[in-house]
Amino acid sequence: MLMGGRIRLWIIAASVAGLIALAVVSWLSYRNTKELIAANGRLAQAHKLIEDLTALHLLLDDAESSCRGYALSGKDDYLKPYDVALTQLDITTQVLGHDLADDPNRSRQFQELEPIIQARLELMKGLVDARRKRGFEAAVRVVQSDRGKRLADEIRRRISAMQAEERNDLLDRERESRERARSTILVVGVTCLLGIALLLAASVVIYRLNRQSEKDHLALQNAERIQRTILNSAAYSMISTDPAGLIQLANAAAEKWLGYTGAELAGNTVTIVHDARELQSRGDQLTRAMGMPVPGDYQALVTKARYGVADEFECAYIRKDGTRFPVLLAVTALRGGDNDLAGYLMIAADLSDRHAMRKMKDEFVSVVSHELRTPLTSIKGALGLLARGVTGALPPKADEMAQIALTNADRLSRLVDDILDLQRIESGRIAIDMRTCDIADLMRQSVESVHLVAEGEGITIAISPCQGSIRADQERMVQAFVNLLGNAVKFSRRGGRIEFAAERTGSIVVFRVRDEGRGIPKDKLETIFERFEQVDASDAREKGGTGLGLAICRSIVEQHGGRVWAESELGRGSTFCVQLPLAEADAVTAS
Amino acid sequence: MPKTVLVIDDDRDIREVAKTSLELVGGFMVILADSGKSGVDLAQQARPDAIILDLMMPDLDGQQTLVQLKQLPETASIPVIMLTAKVQASKKELVSKGAAGVLVKPFDPMQLSDQVCEILGWTLTGKDVGHDGSPKE
Repeated sequence: MLMGGRIRLWIIAASVAGLIALAVVSWLSYRNTKELIAANGRLAQAHKLIEDLTALHLLLDDAESSCRGYALSGKDDYLKPYDVALTQLDITTQVLGHDLADDPNRSRQFQELEPIIQARLELMKGLVDARRKRGFEAAVRVVQSDRGKRLADEIRRRISAMQAEERNDLLDRERESRERARSTILVVGVTCLLGIALLLAASVVIYRLNRQSEKDHLALQNAERIQRTILNSAAYSMISTDPAGLIQLANAAAEKWLGYTGAELAGNTVTIVHDARELQSRGDQLTRAMGMPVPGDYQALVTKARYGVADEFECAYIRKDGTRFPVLLAVTALRGGDNDLAGYLMIAADLSDRHAMRKMKDEFVSVVSHELRTPLTSIKGALGLLARGVTGALPPKADEMAQIALTNADRLSRLVDDILDLQRIESGRIAIDMRTCDIADLMRQSVESVHLVAEGEGITIAISPCQGSIRADQERMVQAFVNLLGNAVKFSRRGGRIEFAAERTGSIVVFRVRDEGRGIPKDKLETIFERFEQVDASDAREKGGTGLGLAICRSIVEQHGGRVWAESELGRGSTFCVQLPLAEADAVTAS
Repeated sequence: MPKTVLVIDDDRDIREVAKTSLELVGGFMVILADSGKSGVDLAQQARPDAIILDLMMPDLDGQQTLVQLKQLPETASIPVIMLTAKVQASKKELVSKGAAGVLVKPFDPMQLSDQVCEILGWTLTGKDVGHDGSPKE
């Protein structure tokens, strides 16, 4: 899950946990408060009850003493408190009865008390009646009957008991309340702590996730920055396009070389930096090569890449100001996750320098060629005339010296030729005039060139051509074969035999030049194709080679898309093989 | 009458060697010029039977000299053989400008006369060569 999503989840979880804790605490607080209020109410109630009972008692005592006062004095004034008390007692009794209605126990107790109170009141009334009606003596007799005292004691006892019970209840309830309050506080406390702990934990997690997210973001930014730096510091122009060839991005090198800004390039078809004729010609070329129509628009650039074939070729880039420069263009197809074509990437290397170098080299070769050949002409010319006696006969020693000079002038001349040849061939700037050449013809022509020398040594050359033709620059290919044949002649004994055969398989043909000479050691089979490498150092002088023949031969063959190699066994002769592709028509008909 | 050959080359030694070779081996009469310009002038005056012309020369180079020779009425019909170092040779191009043939430097002094005759369709039978091949008195 993405970092943002995780952080969100944790924030939600923490909030929910917080809310739940809050809800729990709120509910507990609410409940506790309700209970406290209830408890308070009961407390008030209890106190009221105790007071009422006390009031009742006092009222009774009041009434009693008022009665006794009247009994003693016989004056009506003393009955005033008694009357008041009676009224009050009525009210108080009613109130108590009402208040105690909820408590069955107290209610019962009070109900048991009431008749006793009633009895005591009657006794008082009796006392008052006795005094009023019968006089002082009768009242004394009522008082002395003790019944009043007994009733009073009973009432006192009961009321005390009720009050004590009430006080005990009160104490119990208070204790209960305190305990419940305590447990509630505990729960609240724990819940609060839990809530805080959860919130802290969540905060920590969120903080960490956030930091990680920031780190990731930073890393991503860094990676992007590095990528951009790489793209923009590259010494290659990089242009990316969508599948339809419209430019999406261009790096700094592209902008600099082409003179457009990235914004100017974006959205345009990539062909705006190409030469229309070049595109058309490439399109035609691809049409022929791939056997399907390729138009001369952006398709000419990307078709090969789309088919997954590595595509690299030289072409021109055209700048905003219309000037052009040569580039080596590599095109790759960009594919998305499920291998869908997402576009193309075109990477171009500026060849201006390379081309300039090439031009300089060609000019150099040209100049050197002339500069070296001019004095050589005079040397060979003069020596030739001298050594051949045209200017007159020479004394023997002079003649010998002249011969030596001439031979080496020839060698020097050949060396210059070979070096320049190799230079031109390897630089690929030699004009290769490709034609369809018949294999047998080529072979015959090659043999003709060495035939004289071979005859001179009594060496026979047997040709076994095969049917078919190759695409080749006739002159160059003959040069290559003559090279091999010349070597074969050089290294064959007198009267030896050389075989020059051609064999075709599938779409290729292999030429073989076999001699019965002294052979080549295995470790030299590759190196002999290198410049100035000869199997034996003395060969150069004796056999008159320049050491470049095989290098030139290889260069020519490789330019024609083939390869050349040697097979040999010391003392058993050597076979030089040249493999070349058959001309298309022949390859098709090959069985 | 021996054939006259004009050799135009800016290198003194090559001129000498060519002269010696053509005279001693081919029996030709040889006149020399050391530049394109002096070569054209000499050709107009002396009307040689053939001209051997070096390709690479300072000032008026071989090609330009060839073009001039072919343009001037006095020299237009004189066959010109170009002398080139192998690399610059574009035989076709030179022939298209009017050259009768191309010789490659360094040339074999023994074969120079042979080659000249081959290109020009002459027969070399020693000194005193005739156009139709028959030796003259």
